[in-house]
Amino acid sequence: MEIDVKSLHPLEIKVLLHVKESEQITAKRIISELGYKLGQCNQAFSWLAAKELISESDRINRRQYELTELGKAFNKIGFPAERMFNLLKEYGSLSLPKIAEMLGLDKSDVGSAFGKLSKQGIFGMNAEKMAEIREKILPPDILAARELVMRAVQGPLEEEQLTEDEKKVLQGISKKRGAAGAPFRLAEREEIIYALTPAGTGISKILKEKNITGEELGAVTQDMLADGSWKDKSFRSYSLNSPPSRVLLGRRNPYGEYLQWVKDKLASLGFEEFDGPLVENEFWNGDALFMPQFHSARDIHDVYYVKNPSHAKEIDQPYLDQVAATHENGWDTGSRGWGYEFDRDFTRRQVMRSQGTVLSAKQLPKAKIPGKYFGIARCFRYDQVDATHGADFYQTEGIVLGEDVNLRTLLGLLKMFAEEVAGAEEVKYVPGYFPFTEPSIEVHIKHPVLGWFELGGSGIFRPEVTKALGVDVPVLAWGLGIDRMALMHLGLNDLRELFTPDIESVRMRRGK
Amino acid sequence: MPKIEVLTKTFYQNIGRTYTDEQLEEILPSAKAELDGKDEEAGILKIELNDTNRPDLWSSAGLVRQLRTYTGKKPLFYDFFSNADEEFEYGNRIIEVDPNLKDIRPYITAFAVTGKKIDDTVLKDIIQTQEKLCWNFGRKRRSIAMGVYRNDLISYPVKYTAADPDTTKFIPLLMDQELSLREINEQHPKGKEFGHIVSGFPLFPFLTDSEGQVLSFPPVINSAHIGAVQVDDSELFIELTGTVHKDLILAASIVACDFADAGFTILPVKVVYPYETEFGKEVVTPYYFQEPASAELAYINKLLGMELSPDEAVNALKRMGVFAIYDNGTIFATVPEYRNDFLHPVDIIEDVMIGHGMEKFAPVMLDSFTFGRLTGEEEFSRKVKDVMIGLGFQEMMYNYLGSRKDYITKMNVDGSEYIQIANPMTENYEFVRASIIPSMMQSESVSGNAVYPHAIFEVGKVAFLDDDDNSGSVTRNTLGFLSADSDVGFNQISSTVSAVMFYLNKEYTLKELDDPKFIPGRCAVIVSEGRQVGVFGEVHPAVLENWGIQMPSVVCEIDLDLLMKDG
Repeated sequence: MEIDVKSLHPLEIKVLLHVKESEQITAKRIISELGYKLGQCNQAFSWLAAKELISESDRINRRQYELTELGKAFNKIGFPAERMFNLLKEYGSLSLPKIAEMLGLDKSDVGSAFGKLSKQGIFGMNAEKMAEIREKILPPDILAARELVMRAVQGPLEEEQLTEDEKKVLQGISKKRGAAGAPFRLAEREEIIYALTPAGTGISKILKEKNITGEELGAVTQDMLADGSWKDKSFRSYSLNSPPSRVLLGRRNPYGEYLQWVKDKLASLGFEEFDGPLVENEFWNGDALFMPQFHSARDIHDVYYVKNPSHAKEIDQPYLDQVAATHENGWDTGSRGWGYEFDRDFTRRQVMRSQGTVLSAKQLPKAKIPGKYFGIARCFRYDQVDATHGADFYQTEGIVLGEDVNLRTLLGLLKMFAEEVAGAEEVKYVPGYFPFTEPSIEVHIKHPVLGWFELGGSGIFRPEVTKALGVDVPVLAWGLGIDRMALMHLGLNDLRELFTPDIESVRMRRGK
Repeated sequence: MPKIEVLTKTFYQNIGRTYTDEQLEEILPSAKAELDGKDEEAGILKIELNDTNRPDLWSSAGLVRQLRTYTGKKPLFYDFFSNADEEFEYGNRIIEVDPNLKDIRPYITAFAVTGKKIDDTVLKDIIQTQEKLCWNFGRKRRSIAMGVYRNDLISYPVKYTAADPDTTKFIPLLMDQELSLREINEQHPKGKEFGHIVSGFPLFPFLTDSEGQVLSFPPVINSAHIGAVQVDDSELFIELTGTVHKDLILAASIVACDFADAGFTILPVKVVYPYETEFGKEVVTPYYFQEPASAELAYINKLLGMELSPDEAVNALKRMGVFAIYDNGTIFATVPEYRNDFLHPVDIIEDVMIGHGMEKFAPVMLDSFTFGRLTGEEEFSRKVKDVMIGLGFQEMMYNYLGSRKDYITKMNVDGSEYIQIANPMTENYEFVRASIIPSMMQSESVSGNAVYPHAIFEVGKVAFLDDDDNSGSVTRNTLGFLSADSDVGFNQISSTVSAVMFYLNKEYTLKELDDPKFIPGRCAVIVSEGRQVGVFGEVHPAVLENWGIQMPSVVCEIDLDLLMKDG
């Protein structure tokens, strides 16, 4: 394994520098010789072992006396006998029940401690049946126990390092299996003994060569800056390649970002944005676009009907009369119309907007000439939801009005979109069909990644559409299928993903 | 869009030459068609037709007809069309119509074909034509239904009657016993599919011959005898019934032309009505009713951005199968028998465009100067998004349709402001969202595994009922945001709201709110410039439980359209 010495932690470095080849490396040794805490020792060993700089050479069982919770408490407040001794020292003499009450101990514990120390001649009972002290100091075994407890607070006591006397004391105050509370517990632990590997020896050499001691400074602290303690010291080099931790940040949804890019693009090309409500009526959604009310052309726009209220109160005049007449007999548009009786009830029926062209139609009565408009509109279709169909989705649509616009400027417009919005190199135009445009053109482009595909549909609005809405100049109408490019941009292949509620997948998503 | 299948071999035979797929793809646009796929083994091409106003193209014969003229072959002439001035010989082939049909299914057109044996290819083509015409053009048989019969078994005159649905019985195709018309509607697969078209009437359409032999129960099913056409039949009777006379006659013309192209002789049939129709009481079909169409050459050139000569325009139309002449600045076109899509001069212009060849139109850049501009709402939204991102929130985007369960039930609200869809496909998309909050709750409910803290927002639209509006509802641009973590609470979201309002330059005050989706006393209404622009608070654990969310959440929603308005 290739090891970068910069990736080593000071705890590791010091161990590597400290031990020599073939020496035993144990926790005990490192704790005593390098002043590590046990936890630091364990960390250093496990890191070094993972890097194969040290390896296990042996395992031994260690017997240790460690403090129980009771033992830790004794360390803080003293042994019962010790506390009784100190209490009597202060008060002279007290009854046993009084002692128990003052120290918050069980009467039986007080009784047994008194009995034990009375035998050793430390305590005695006076004529008033009150306990009192007979010696100036506590007996050696209690003093020894007290000292052992204080030592054990620093860490467990290794059996092999104890004197015979100490062992004897400890055996008396250690918890036996099933026995009542005692300050110590005897634990058996397996300890691993490590040794440097050849790689470890190698790294150790490199460390020495580079004069890395493990004493280099880590993080710059406020204190360091305040007291100047950083001066004359070197800073530890950090590993450049350790994996950075994750940052959660605020950011755009990449699909929204893409739509915004398209909007900015269109605005930069001189288009003014329009928008409108989600709920429409049949008038704007179909009738105004010269789609006959009962013709199969409406089958391709299977729409969602609104239940409440099912009909709009009224349709704007004079457009209702003009559109109705256009459907019936062509009105003043030069058309013969569809030749059926226009249903003025049906036209008020409310639907969820099914095509972005609705907004284009609604813009016509208020449009400037010359004028260029666009909108990215959420639309709704009665469709089985799958990877290529959503219940609601965005459509990008717009119009260009002008005395001089014609088929060839339409092709120019499409070429501009192909190049500016899709980054296409090649463009192909084929006749298309839309109920509201004539002629109609589909634009196919050769996308650098996706190959040939249909970028959008377009055409010149039928005069039945424009004249009935008060516009006398030709109007180019266009729509761009940008979702396919958006999916590619986002590395997705399922339309449903664009509106996923899954937070993690949106966090991880990014544009190309 | 209709899709058809054609036998590759016959198709190319009829066009008069073979094309590679690439070559075919180059000429198909002249019919607004595209190659949708092919089945090499079965020798079939699958073709999609995009023009819903050109039902004549939805058959092998019709497509061949278009491609032949487009590639320079002579158009075929049809000499069996009667018109207002001239009737072709119909012999004894007469249909008598019952006056009771006037309000049920008033029109019928028919003709017979002879002169050739029906082979498998023709039979398949007939069935395909019938399907496409009646489904797409005939609105699923409502306005047009077609039946084909063995002509040699029929004794004329044929009677188109209105029959009692319960006492009238016959053996329909695919069955071996007599059923009443009503029983057919209830039991026969075609009855279940199409019976609803007539089931509301007291009497049903019924077609018999002069001897009472049953032809069919239009628009549902043929009889098992006269109505069972087979390979090797040599004379067929074809009828179409429906509600729109012109469409019906056009559909019959299309089918007749297809048979004529396949080499059959067309035998006209006379229909005698007891009531007036647009084309009189007696109509001999196939019948040519189309009016001539015209367009000024100057208009053609203006709209196409070209300077086509009269000859170029006339020739372009010829390639589209449209005979035209030029006279004194105007192109006059004779509409082909099988078409009725010339409503306006622009329809001629499109045919000129296609016939002239798309490749001859060079793109021209627009030169008019216009101001590009975003809506005020869009600009405000962007400001809001910038603030939210600065506050550490991830932008989300959601669907606008959802279920009652998600939008209303789980939120513990009554949902009285929600717009409901009358014809939902599934209950999953039955309501329009009136609030962003359920969308964000849904996010939280599916994102328990995403690293916390969660901080998400959306700027999107909601729509809700509003009696004052003409449509009874309004759409609003709205900001929603949610934070979820072990230590979120009212104070935290109140700080966020405060930051948002500060950087949007809006003063606000808070008012107490009583809303079951929030914990009482830990939610508020945001009031700015006298308007209630939003709400926020700690989501009630009962709502979190409904969503299966195990993390404390706070949420806020602000109506941006209200907020951006100046006091």
